[in-house]
Amino acid sequence: MDGRVPSERNTKAFWQKMKDLLPGLIIPVLILAAWSYYGNGSFLPSPSAVFNVLLHPAEDILSCGSLLWNIGVSLVRVLLGLFIAIVVGTPFGFMMGANNRFRKFTSVVTELARPLSPIALLPLSIIVFKDTSFTEVLGLNSLKYTRHILNELQIGMIFILAWGGVFPIILETMHGVRGVRKVYVEAARVLGASRTFIFRHVLLPASLPDVFTGYRMAVGRCWMVIIAAEMLPGTNSGIGYLLRYSYQLSRLDIMLACIFIIAVIGFVFSRGLEYAGDRWLLLRARER
Amino acid sequence: MISFSFLGIEKSYSDPSGKNLQVLGPVDLTVESGQFLCLLGPTGCGKTTLLRILSRLESADSGKISMGSGNLGYVFQQGALFPWMTVESNVMFPLKAKGVKSGLCRSRAGEMLRNVGLYEFRRSFPHELSGGMQQRTALARGLVTEPDILLLDEPFASLDTRTGIHLQEMLRKLCRSLSTTVVFVTHNIEEAVYLADRIAVMGHRPGRIVRDETLSLKWPRDRLSSDFTGVLLSFRQTFEELVDQ
Repeated sequence: MDGRVPSERNTKAFWQKMKDLLPGLIIPVLILAAWSYYGNGSFLPSPSAVFNVLLHPAEDILSCGSLLWNIGVSLVRVLLGLFIAIVVGTPFGFMMGANNRFRKFTSVVTELARPLSPIALLPLSIIVFKDTSFTEVLGLNSLKYTRHILNELQIGMIFILAWGGVFPIILETMHGVRGVRKVYVEAARVLGASRTFIFRHVLLPASLPDVFTGYRMAVGRCWMVIIAAEMLPGTNSGIGYLLRYSYQLSRLDIMLACIFIIAVIGFVFSRGLEYAGDRWLLLRARER
Repeated sequence: MISFSFLGIEKSYSDPSGKNLQVLGPVDLTVESGQFLCLLGPTGCGKTTLLRILSRLESADSGKISMGSGNLGYVFQQGALFPWMTVESNVMFPLKAKGVKSGLCRSRAGEMLRNVGLYEFRRSFPHELSGGMQQRTALARGLVTEPDILLLDEPFASLDTRTGIHLQEMLRKLCRSLSTTVVFVTHNIEEAVYLADRIAVMGHRPGRIVRDETLSLKWPRDRLSSDFTGVLLSFRQTFEELVDQ
């Protein structure tokens, strides 16, 4: 132990982290410099115009609602789709991993469905679900003509998001369960554990790191899918929609701001989950 | 009283080309309650398979096993501790699996951890412990239910000699105090002669018992005494004849 107080150590750790980040910032800064130098007079708006959009996130843009509103819509859609993917995919993956008969029964369907891009299913989902939103499903007709998040959660869109997220979760979970070292299961068996006990106390915790990897991949996929889906016909909100709409109106400053936000949110998703995964699970669950 | 017995146990596997390969048998073995039996034999002679058949991880092709009660403890070669559980949770595992109440689990695991000298480390994770401490945890986990029979599969093979000797003494003492029947698989002759009441030497292809002897060495055993080295040399000779075959 060094003699310093914790806050002092934390500050030091913080600056160390900043220092580690610096080399990664060189390229973005160079791009920014080149952009502001050569960008003038070309088709590109100046960086300051883009930052101006980013600096006023709560202001209405092109009568589509504010930047924050559209970000919120996209995020809620993704989280809801992801939630469904987790609720469906995790038990399904566990069953496939733990039960050979169930795996044989389902593997052909999963293997066929997995490479199918969720975007390819968008037309079908529009036909099946029309543009039904959660407002209608929940019978809250009074909200229908107001700006409310439930109006923006179309069943079809949530369906393709869940579709995009569910397969990485199923596959990673299955591989996680199947990859549990045999000796752990045998040890549990000879120590008198029943099948359900082994499932709860051995298979489940031992495969958690892989399950978590599945979640991480699912978030990434969902975020890509939502942007693409919002750019297609059938929506009028979300950051992807704003991106396409601003392009149609040749408001490239807004378009670039949207691209920037999409990148940052994707980064935060993957880094944040990595961090959470490390903190909670990975260290404990893997033999080192 | 008889603890368990094997009668004409046989086991074969089919190799990749589909040929039948007999690995075991026939094996006849009867072990008395409270006896410390060492199964001694060269690598690949089917000692582990015999242990796995006894613990019902595998089934025999033919033959009969009779066993009093089925309460078994098992210590694997590399411990096989659950890396996501603390030392204490690992030791509590067999109790919980048998439905023992949580409070009682904790107190019994604590007691067993004191016996192996790891009580202070109960909140550590296996990877934070040395190899010897991990095997002590595995030993505590194997003994915490006070099993009638404790099976050990070369538990100290990966440890250095000093640690191994220390653990041998600990094991011997613990099993004596709990009057557990022990089947200890090893290819280390000195270990077997030091620990065992009885040594069964196994030959290979197919694995069967070629020498079965109850030792007359008194306790405490002195590894440097002439009695000890005499027995050791006699078993070494049997062993070398086996390997030469």
